[in-house]
Amino acid sequence: MSDPLHYFHSASGPVALALPFDYSQAIQDWASLRSAMLRQVPLEFSPDEWAYLVSFLHPDNLLQPFLSNFGTALEKAPTRISRLYRPRGPIAIWLPNNVSLLGPLGLILLSLCGQPIRMKLGSSAQDLASAFLSYAKAKLPSGALRDYLGSQVTTDRFSRNDPRQAELSQQAQVRLVFGSDQAAAAIDQLPHPLESQGFAFVDRQSEAWLEPAALSEQVLDTLIKVFAIYGQAGCTSPRRVILLDATMAEARQLRDQLLNRWPKRIQTKPAMHSASATLMALHWARALGWDAQATQNNGAMLACGDYGLPSIQAPMALSIQPASKLQALAGLPANIQTLGHALTQPEHPDWLHLLANSQVRRFVPLAQMHHFTSFWDGEEFWRHCFTPMEVRQ
Amino acid sequence: MNRLLENAKPYGARSDAAFLAEMNALTQAHLQGCPEYARIWPDFRPAQRVEDLPYLHVGVFKQVDFKTQRPGIQHERVLKPSATTSGQASQIHLDRTSSELQSASSLAILKDFVGEHLRPLLVLDSSASLLARGEISARVAAAMSLRPISTGMHFLLAQANDAQSLKWNLLTNLLEKHDDLLVYGFTWILWQAWAAADWPEDIRQLLQGKRIHFVHSGGWKKLEDSRVAPQTFNASLLHGLHPDSGVTDFYGLVEQVGIIYPACADGYRHVPVWADVLVRDPWTLEPLIGETGQLQLLNCLAQGAPYHSVYTEDLGRIQPGACPCGRSGKRFELLGRVPQAEIRGCANV
Repeated sequence: MSDPLHYFHSASGPVALALPFDYSQAIQDWASLRSAMLRQVPLEFSPDEWAYLVSFLHPDNLLQPFLSNFGTALEKAPTRISRLYRPRGPIAIWLPNNVSLLGPLGLILLSLCGQPIRMKLGSSAQDLASAFLSYAKAKLPSGALRDYLGSQVTTDRFSRNDPRQAELSQQAQVRLVFGSDQAAAAIDQLPHPLESQGFAFVDRQSEAWLEPAALSEQVLDTLIKVFAIYGQAGCTSPRRVILLDATMAEARQLRDQLLNRWPKRIQTKPAMHSASATLMALHWARALGWDAQATQNNGAMLACGDYGLPSIQAPMALSIQPASKLQALAGLPANIQTLGHALTQPEHPDWLHLLANSQVRRFVPLAQMHHFTSFWDGEEFWRHCFTPMEVRQ
Repeated sequence: MNRLLENAKPYGARSDAAFLAEMNALTQAHLQGCPEYARIWPDFRPAQRVEDLPYLHVGVFKQVDFKTQRPGIQHERVLKPSATTSGQASQIHLDRTSSELQSASSLAILKDFVGEHLRPLLVLDSSASLLARGEISARVAAAMSLRPISTGMHFLLAQANDAQSLKWNLLTNLLEKHDDLLVYGFTWILWQAWAAADWPEDIRQLLQGKRIHFVHSGGWKKLEDSRVAPQTFNASLLHGLHPDSGVTDFYGLVEQVGIIYPACADGYRHVPVWADVLVRDPWTLEPLIGETGQLQLLNCLAQGAPYHSVYTEDLGRIQPGACPCGRSGKRFELLGRVPQAEIRGCANV
């Protein structure tokens, strides 16, 4: 029995997609999990993480990879098609050593390809991928998706020297690595099928570009929310705010507004170690010449300073620096991932001209910095889980 | 010499006003001589209470090289922790004046706990640790503070961090010649090299009945996996020894060199008159009495860099009232480290 075919109308004409199950039913099944998820947050997850997963499982979000990669869904088979896409094959995922939502998010997205997935867990981290997989298998309605998760998705924890490391690489047609640059390089050296696809999601950082004229209470609250979720530990979290074409006085004003609004937006006390690290960051920043203040309860350290000041690496340290656009462009970190923006005219073509000379992977509104589709770190990794067959009929 | 150190009695009544005056003067000197410190506390006015004195978070010494330049201060060496789990090490600049005060301080405190009579000092470290030019490790600094009450120092390890590299001949020789000994080591090394080590039977026999006072420091973190309780630790060390033998576990930071806090027989840490300890709420930083919070350690010995007032990542509680051990003055319970949590984020850690 062959896999069912699904039809889409893409820019290059009608295409067919072969999947081992009905993708719209899989999306519905995932979405049905949301009502159970709203009732209780499992211990392994923070409320923010769980809320993000609930939002991620919205059917519109899960449909997006199909629509953006294959085009508009067609109800009936077209008379002719130009491409047949079929899954590339087994998928291997190496997860990072810190506690991360990347495991559950990757699992959800990749499950829509219907291929065997083997996840190698970080050797020391609390494991959110297994926790979410167990939760989904327990709560999903019976059907193809639950059967698939039960029979074709596995998690393993072993050391980097374990022979299973090479075996995992050799058996996969798609390899996704989350981790440090060194970890990704080591996995890339493992034997793997010649035509397999590998994607490395490594050490990246993000920043926010704001224009004074675009600042509003909503933008301030969004900035607080986007930063407070992960602080500097999030690759999509702004480590610094660049206030474009602004003065230091405007930067200080922004900092003071954030200080005032922080207690209204973030009402939970930080963990003790986090409060302590924030105090350390405050002293460090001031010693280096930053004009730094801590928010209530040492929730975060907000520092203003000249563009050339050395950065402060601390979990909840956010710097605010005035700079010209060209300065900001020149000072982007080499591993820049996301630019979150609050601009008066983000659609103006000048922004694209400017960023064409950068390594920026994502240019998105501030509120969407943490929101991923199937396009991660500038990589069409989901699309590459399928191979095309040229069709002429 | 600091006036509070003049009578060299660490515990007892003291003039809080005199301590505050010393601390205010020291703070002012650091503000004038250390620009990085002055930038952290730009609006300092002489404090009316010890609680209002400025402080530095202990972690900032790993990031910023603090050094106070002032007349009469000669910086000589850098004190470094022997090892850190984070990979980053604090750097504390030692100057001649402070070093003299710090040696006098630690000696006075140790005498109060281990007595003053001279005996050989056995150090669970390598003599090579003494040779680093311009630097001194915390372990060697702690051992050196015991030297004035010893007849001589004997380094027992061939390799500084290898508990298996005990020099058996040297140990045998010392045990054959002496009945009264002082032994110093980091807590984990003392456990691995001595208390839990599989020693030859003839050397075990030589130990029987000896009067040995063990002094250890450096904390219990490296022994967490072994789940060694302090009672087990002490019992293993003291097994078969003379009943007057003892174990002293002291708490101290490289960022507070010279001030050590040995645990008394009742488990409390006593504050010498030339120092002070505050407990602060980790979130509001308000001082706490009788409640658990983060410890702030202060002393009036640190001249060459502003490590005279340090906010630590250790937890403690000030205990009011007199201690059954008989020492007077302020005392506190040491309750471990600020609990850490796994970092949550993306892959970039």
